[in-house]
Amino acid sequence: MSETVQHTTPIIEGRNLAKRFGGKKGLFHSSPTVYAVNDVSIAVWPGETFAIVGESGCGKSTLARLLLRLIEPSDGDVLYQGKDITKLSASDMRSLRSEMQIIFQDPFASLNPRMTVGSIIAEPIRLHGLAKGKAVDDRVAELLRIVGLRPEYADRYPHEFSGGQRQRIGVARALAGQPKLIIGDEPVSALDVSIQAQVINLLEDLKEQFGLTLIIVAHDLAVIRHMSDRVAVMYLGEVVELSPVDPLYEKPLHPYTQTLLDAIPVPVPGHREKRSLARGDVPSPTNPPPGCRFHTRCPFALQKCREVHPPLEDVGGGRFVACHLWREIQEQDHPSAPLDGTSPKLAERLEIYRSYQSAKEKNSPVG
Amino acid sequence: MNQSALAEASRTVESSSETVLSVEDFTLSFSESAKTNLIEGVSFHVERGKTLCIVGESGCGKSVTSLALMGLLASPPARIRRGTAMFGGKDLFALSEREKADLRGNDIAMIFQEPMTSLNPAFTVGHQIAEGIMRHRHMSKAEARAETLKMLQMVRIPAPESRLDAYPHQLSGGMRQRVMIAMALANRPKLLIADEPTTALDVTIQAQILKLIRQIQEETGTAMILITHDLGVVAEVADHVAVMYAGHIVEQGPVDEIFNDPQHPYTIGLFGSIPTLGRRQGKLATIKGAVPPLELMPKGCRFSPRCPFADQRCRDEVPPSPQLGPDHTAACWYAPLEQKLGARQ
Repeated sequence: MSETVQHTTPIIEGRNLAKRFGGKKGLFHSSPTVYAVNDVSIAVWPGETFAIVGESGCGKSTLARLLLRLIEPSDGDVLYQGKDITKLSASDMRSLRSEMQIIFQDPFASLNPRMTVGSIIAEPIRLHGLAKGKAVDDRVAELLRIVGLRPEYADRYPHEFSGGQRQRIGVARALAGQPKLIIGDEPVSALDVSIQAQVINLLEDLKEQFGLTLIIVAHDLAVIRHMSDRVAVMYLGEVVELSPVDPLYEKPLHPYTQTLLDAIPVPVPGHREKRSLARGDVPSPTNPPPGCRFHTRCPFALQKCREVHPPLEDVGGGRFVACHLWREIQEQDHPSAPLDGTSPKLAERLEIYRSYQSAKEKNSPVG
Repeated sequence: MNQSALAEASRTVESSSETVLSVEDFTLSFSESAKTNLIEGVSFHVERGKTLCIVGESGCGKSVTSLALMGLLASPPARIRRGTAMFGGKDLFALSEREKADLRGNDIAMIFQEPMTSLNPAFTVGHQIAEGIMRHRHMSKAEARAETLKMLQMVRIPAPESRLDAYPHQLSGGMRQRVMIAMALANRPKLLIADEPTTALDVTIQAQILKLIRQIQEETGTAMILITHDLGVVAEVADHVAVMYAGHIVEQGPVDEIFNDPQHPYTIGLFGSIPTLGRRQGKLATIKGAVPPLELMPKGCRFSPRCPFADQRCRDEVPPSPQLGPDHTAACWYAPLEQKLGARQ
């Protein structure tokens, strides 16, 4: 998908973005500087699903918030449809906000418990003047239907809903402003597996229906493989690899991406003990290591990696990697064939399951 | 008795002596008057050196089951209505508070999900591990400290001498979980219950901890109950799997059987709901709706409101759990699906 649209303008672009937190020096106390995001440049094309993946503290959520200008960058620029929005005034920014929305991870914390579901969803509609009077209620009802909830639910409060339903409410609120771009910050990671699948399918349907661009911030590599077109892998505030989704999973170039893929427990019994584990913990972002930031855990690291910071290099096919040694590592045999764990019997029964489910749905279409 | 029958008999004796914990018909409710029990008729057993994974989604009763085994549920409101949990010749559900306290942290130990909240922030990790050793093994302070150091080495904490006097906040999440494991294993328990031990950790750290748990189990022969919602983790560590849904075990069997030959519609739907790392195969299958509240639970199969195959009989009558493979049962009227139903046209 990304190849066909690359000559258009990116819907959102970050140029040399950096964000540092802390670093304040007081009389009695100074807080250390956290280098959350460091010199990151990414461009997201209209209509694609772009994923940002990494472990906790890698800066993926900070990057997402920088792109939406929910926090101000320490350095660098954000461009929305080719226009620099870094210096936009608060009121100009506010009118842009309806076009870019965010869905948060925790559906229990991100909805105001004192507001009815209807008023939660109506707020952006009123705020951006998209409808007035009775039309607002109609729009709320329509949005609830779109996300698979009953329109009567508008009068209820968030605590009356399960986690999956709350996340649907969050999605309805995000859709209310008629956005072009939705960022999901771990949109499904707080949900149970069966509910997670419902919300993933919902986001995919909506993306198609409304021609949205999605940016998914997540740590679950299987969810990302399933949903995205392109993936940026982050480690300690930097993008270490950027690639279309299939080649990334089939032939990861950066040793960190390989580690991450190897570390996932595969739902195939008997596949144990076949992994090269990264050593130790992620270093603190207050004191990132010099050179390549992954060198402290990398099994391939050489002297050069400890001293020289590798740039994000264009290696062709839409792929970028920040590693001095990726060519040498690729020449070595790397056993990375991500498995599809579906056994023939499971596949057969899933087929029966689906056939009955769709037959049942035709008879009673409830959300 | 001929030779083979004799061998058969001795094998049964041998295997039964290996059973560390055997739970039969465990049934629990949270109120005296409740018509529906939160957990109903749960039976399973765990063998020495083996891992039973209890897998299920939030609210299925997997954590409550483990807390009941540890004797950590406040009663009232919790009330065990039926069932036994035989452990070393004693019924865990019939023990006095004092007996329970002697078992906990000694013969049975537990690891919780959140390593930050389950360690006391006011004491050093060395102190917290040594406390249990002194309490149960009547060692002196110096002996307990030496033993603690050994435990930290066993869980592969780098520079263990310097970590003895560290406070929990000075350690990373993965290190804290290692400390929890060291604490749990300090008195060589016969049974270790781990409730989502790696859920709060990053994948690279999770992989390290899972590997560590497996290695330690091989070294010590501890039996383990691992509670998780992650089917990848199950495949990684389980010998035997019990799938729980709304307080019932809907399916259980050896790990290969469950993954290669899943029988219960809930298990099948669960597998269909997880995205794989392989190339995308169209949309995910889903399980419609959500778990109903206890008051609305059907009399029969508790999965029936969400099951694509459910009919009136499913809603009214609790399905039997026929044996469908070696040591493999599933509580469904229609298992195996392809024989009982076949694809719908």
